[in-house]
Amino acid sequence: MKRLSAALAVAAVALAAGCGSGNGGDAASGQNGEPVKLRFLSLAWQKESIEANKQIVADWNKANPKIQVEYVQGSWDNVNDQLVTSFEAGDPPDVIHDDSPALSSFASRGFLLDLTGKVPAELKNDIPQAAWDTVTFSDGKSGQGVYGVPFLQESQVLIANKKLLDGAGVRVPTPDSPWTWDEFADVAKKLTKKGAYGVAWPMKSPVNKVLNLALNFGGTFFDTQNGKTTVKVGPQEREVLQRIHDQLYTDKSADPSALGMGTADPLPGFFAGKYAIVPAGVYLRQQVAEQAPSGFDWVTLPPLKGQTSQQGAVSQTLSVAADSKHPDEALKFIAYFLNGPNQAKLAKGDWLLPTSTTAAKDPALTTKENGWDVATASAKDLVVAPFLKVNGFDEWKSKVATPAMQEYFADKISLDELAKRLVEEGNKVLERYSR
Amino acid sequence: MTALAERPYGRAGGGSRRGPRSGGGLALLLPALVPVLVFSVGPLIYGILLAFTDARSGRNTETSFVGLENFAELLSDGDFWESFRIGMIWGLSVTVLQFLASLGLALLLNQDLRLRGVARVLAVVPWAMPPVVVGLMWRLVYHPDAGLLNGLFGTHVDWLHDFSFALPAVIVVGVWTGMPQTTVVLLAGLQNVPKELYEAVSVDGAGAWRRFWNVTLPQLRPVIVAITSLDFVWNINQFSLVYVLTQGGPGGRTRLPMLFAYEEAFRYGFFGYAATLGVAITIVVLAVLGLYLWRQAREGD
Repeated sequence: MKRLSAALAVAAVALAAGCGSGNGGDAASGQNGEPVKLRFLSLAWQKESIEANKQIVADWNKANPKIQVEYVQGSWDNVNDQLVTSFEAGDPPDVIHDDSPALSSFASRGFLLDLTGKVPAELKNDIPQAAWDTVTFSDGKSGQGVYGVPFLQESQVLIANKKLLDGAGVRVPTPDSPWTWDEFADVAKKLTKKGAYGVAWPMKSPVNKVLNLALNFGGTFFDTQNGKTTVKVGPQEREVLQRIHDQLYTDKSADPSALGMGTADPLPGFFAGKYAIVPAGVYLRQQVAEQAPSGFDWVTLPPLKGQTSQQGAVSQTLSVAADSKHPDEALKFIAYFLNGPNQAKLAKGDWLLPTSTTAAKDPALTTKENGWDVATASAKDLVVAPFLKVNGFDEWKSKVATPAMQEYFADKISLDELAKRLVEEGNKVLERYSR
Repeated sequence: MTALAERPYGRAGGGSRRGPRSGGGLALLLPALVPVLVFSVGPLIYGILLAFTDARSGRNTETSFVGLENFAELLSDGDFWESFRIGMIWGLSVTVLQFLASLGLALLLNQDLRLRGVARVLAVVPWAMPPVVVGLMWRLVYHPDAGLLNGLFGTHVDWLHDFSFALPAVIVVGVWTGMPQTTVVLLAGLQNVPKELYEAVSVDGAGAWRRFWNVTLPQLRPVIVAITSLDFVWNINQFSLVYVLTQGGPGGRTRLPMLFAYEEAFRYGFFGYAATLGVAITIVVLAVLGLYLWRQAREGD
């Protein structure tokens, strides 16, 4: 009996301690002059980016002895699983780095703080409304809220082998006069020779790529009426799907064996001259610049144009947990972390586009070197991706769209069949979320 | 507890000893019982109850009992049954291959070989590795560019992301990981086969194959039944290995039922439905296992 009661006593003490720290403890310590402690979950993963993040946190901690920020390293691979458990346990990090597709479902479940009216004017005005749209979501009841501060965005550009382009005598596009999809198809055909392909489409994760590009032709894939969202695959949505498929199997200007690759995987072939053009997010420039053999001449080409050059945008974001005990201090930190100069540092570290208009004017982000001028110019065509507002998109993507699109690009199913599956199976998935 | 106290020798000792004995037993048992109740039975009951609710992830959600609604949904959930089919292929093939490979290894290790001790230790090494480490290690083996396998065969296959190779590739890893415990158990079984039996059949002029078929196998039977059923349960509930290797990809080709349930809960936030999946998987596994054990028991008689 002694052991039992001892065990019970230990359990009781542990419980009491647990509850205690949940309530009064920390709030009181803030008033007593002890510093407020914030945890900042960062997902930076490139070396330069991690350094930039840690540097900014260190600068803040030095300047603000009353609000001390602890840098916690997370990973994109499992961040959302990790967040769900820490949210459910009621002990999330105060400041959370994530991206806008993930915010929608967290916001509707009430895990994130609505920042409407809380963001300092200076920061708010520095970021264009189009970017704020990528973090504005339903609160799961009837209202709307702003659930993060968007700071880094990605656009899809083309990275090309300059020597091969010149050799084929094709026009090099500029941001003011980009290639149309038709012109791109012609160029890719010209660049295709024995053993070499005009383009490599790495389609391991095809969904976001296709959906973002589909906006070139006005394809939105989702249709919301009276609060009910359904999947739609009409002529506009089919354009990009059909064109990529044509390059693979009609023109034979794209290498089918690149389909299973992730974004960075075609690089060895690209350096070897096997692929002349690789469509990729702007961040891939970092790996090209770093890994290219000496003397390799590459250029960044502006996004393609369909009816427009518009692309769906998602943002990397900083949010405040609804359960955070120090939301005001967390916002102060975010406002500092994402000011113009700091955003320029972060954008450079991750080779992405800053949302801050001051940061975008930074000379380092407009230089010709490594295609920064083209990349930064492409930000003007970013509009909020329609799928961001769709509750259940993640499940649609992983259960329906990814396998179906992979099969379509592998030429195992027809475009009609793909459309049918995306719509019919997709609507079944979306229905679960509208109950 | 009363059943324990009513045992013959308790009765023989006279009524006076019965009281203190059972009281002391209870007190001694409780410390061991409390963790079991708190950490095992409690969550189990909670999980079963959850299966009858529409619990969802979120701060502002309300949970209510929905009866058998989740189970009805489950029956018409094509994705789950596809995942279940994959789980069955995985569970059965891993168990069978594991058994065959381990039996071979155990027979070998039972021979009078040089360095037998070292070989036995080496055979057990994979047991000491956590599944996550095993997964990471095999991911390197299967790596399309830098992997050992492509290097060895001069192929260029992305084993873990290829629609047709992913499941077999994962099954190989599953077999490899599970072999040590199966081998050890079978080896122990082999050492318990009485030598006289072998001598007896040798007198009858039986060869190695006849000896194996007529003596070793029948003698090993109870051990085989026990270890294959345990392996099956273990394999069908496997999670971490596949999670590290493929996360259920490509396109759900390796999405085992447990992975499916995990995604329902922690990715999409349907806690109630995920609990239903857990209960359903348990029921089916018990049914399959029950059938297998019942048949074995009948044949054993």
